[in-house]
Amino acid sequence: MKQIIASLVVAGFALAGISSHAADKLIVAMLPKAKGNAYFISCKGGADKAAKELGVELLFDGPTDSNAAKQNEIVENWITLGVDAIAVAAENKEGISTALRKAQKAGVKVLTYDADALPDARSFFVNQATPEGIGYTLMDEAARLCNNEGEFAIITATLTAANMREWQKNIEARLKDKYPKMKLVATRPCDDLKDKAQSEATALMSANPNLKCIMAICSPGVPGAAEAVKQAGKTGKVKVLGLGLPNENKRYVHSGVTDSVILWNTEDLGYLAVYAATKLAKGELKPGDKTVTAGKLGEFKIDGDNIMLGKPFIFNKDNIDKFDF
Amino acid sequence: MNTDKHGWKRILLRHETILLFVLVVEWLLFYYFGTSMNRRGITVGFGTMDRQFDILRHSCEIGLLALALTPVILTGGIDLSIGSLLGLTAIVFGKLWHDAHLSIGMAAVCAVGVGALAGGLNATLITTLRIPALIVTLGTYSLFRGLAEAITHGSVTYTDFPASFLFLGQERWLGLPAQAWLFIVVAIATWLLVHRTTFGRSFRAIGFSPEGTRYAGISVERRLTMVYVLAGIVAALAAIIYTARLGQAKADAGTGYELFAITAVVLGGTSIFGGIGSVHGTLLGVAAIAVLKNGLACLPIVIRHNSAEELSGMMTGALLLLALCSSVLPKILSTWRSRRQSHLPQQTKIA
Repeated sequence: MKQIIASLVVAGFALAGISSHAADKLIVAMLPKAKGNAYFISCKGGADKAAKELGVELLFDGPTDSNAAKQNEIVENWITLGVDAIAVAAENKEGISTALRKAQKAGVKVLTYDADALPDARSFFVNQATPEGIGYTLMDEAARLCNNEGEFAIITATLTAANMREWQKNIEARLKDKYPKMKLVATRPCDDLKDKAQSEATALMSANPNLKCIMAICSPGVPGAAEAVKQAGKTGKVKVLGLGLPNENKRYVHSGVTDSVILWNTEDLGYLAVYAATKLAKGELKPGDKTVTAGKLGEFKIDGDNIMLGKPFIFNKDNIDKFDF
Repeated sequence: MNTDKHGWKRILLRHETILLFVLVVEWLLFYYFGTSMNRRGITVGFGTMDRQFDILRHSCEIGLLALALTPVILTGGIDLSIGSLLGLTAIVFGKLWHDAHLSIGMAAVCAVGVGALAGGLNATLITTLRIPALIVTLGTYSLFRGLAEAITHGSVTYTDFPASFLFLGQERWLGLPAQAWLFIVVAIATWLLVHRTTFGRSFRAIGFSPEGTRYAGISVERRLTMVYVLAGIVAALAAIIYTARLGQAKADAGTGYELFAITAVVLGGTSIFGGIGSVHGTLLGVAAIAVLKNGLACLPIVIRHNSAEELSGMMTGALLLLALCSSVLPKILSTWRSRRQSHLPQQTKIA
């Protein structure tokens, strides 16, 4: 009986084919918040490039919607698949941390990118931009578009997402400090869905007739809000800005609906995350290191346990065509 | 001899037997194709004990809901609200512990109480106002989820539970994931209730004919109240182990779980019209879905294409439809055969 089982297992390995394939390759698993989101797809673009250069196998899987419980199940799956390193964009800080700690206990190297988990559940966080940098840039740009006065509203992904809350806090702090004549009238969630952002933006405009500006702080929210403004015939009257991807917004930027799109280079974020994860798994990156080198992008600064990607970038009519992601 | 053979055939063609066969085949296939050796020479994938425990761990919550739904569906009813109720009781539990500073035990008792009350609300609307269960629980489905979101303003997440509580969701006790013991206890209790008591018989009777059952002197209202209240209590238990597994209580807990649970019950051979079904069938249904979902995520081809989640949805649907077809097929075959047999003598006469 034992022999039969053993031979079955051996045959299984041969048929499955992963053993010969993966045996010599390091496996890096990357978890997005939602895998259909264009933002994470462009991260994957950079991650794929890095994986190719490094010769590692890249797994990229995530929930089809932003779902914290499913993220945990995927991480647990990766633990039993025996991956070497996991890079996670956390949907919920505390929720994911239990699964990440389990991964660390099983000898898997863990880092986070885009949205952090609890510090003890990962070795490093690839910080795409500080919440302060993002919050301040968004608020400054909104104030510039509104000539420093008037009502504006925020469209966010979910009211619970940790990074969104951080950004909002900084937006509100900047608002209080520098722009006393501006007023935040509402903050609405769009669940990372473009059509929901559109209906929320439409509702915001009808509820607040004096609205001068809509600030969308999740990537599907910007084209969603722009579409709502365009269909309401309020182009130019209600300004749109937000955190988003250049490609999804090009149309609206060129037709004057959206004024500025603020972001970092997401491909670079994915690229850096895979480089850092691989180096972590190989033992070439250790806690306490001050810099890390990522292939063609060169050297990045490490602040404590945060690997810093750099400053946010403002895309507008003049420069948006130079970018394709 | 003839009757004996017939009996064997009946057992073999029974829905539960077919499902057990499907489950075993499914498991062996995943074991065969989903297990491998990694770079460091460690066996990884489906054929590891950790994976098997994960499957058990991940199926406890939906399994509990499916157990709770089995008596409900046996009576010809339905409860769409249990997934939302899981969310609501998780929030109640988290809030009582975090904000009202109750002990974990007290908070759990209160959460179960809220579950029972919520089940009672469903039951009252169904029995006294005679509104169909589908409509009532469709209403409470939104009501309970809305309440959970209102309590947390859609943004508060309760975390930082003590390690002793998280043990229930994340560690092993006596060799099994801790929450599996709760699942086993509830499974045995439900099985005894449905298959070894007069209550169980009355549930099926109600499913066949509520009026007939009433004429037989059974208080249909009381029995219905019992199954819906029990469903509420079990949903609260599921909420507690869900919270312990993830270490967080959030208003979106258990979203969509009611549909997974209904799928498991129906896959297990319980008729959606009531009257027919079994608890062991439900357990097999839960296992078949959990193994499918987890097994797919271990297949190299699925991993390469990063499509575990989409595939598991598709395959669960396909499995359900296949199982339903396979259970109907023998009936169709036997009617076809008996029709042919009844034609045969006539033909000989003519000849």
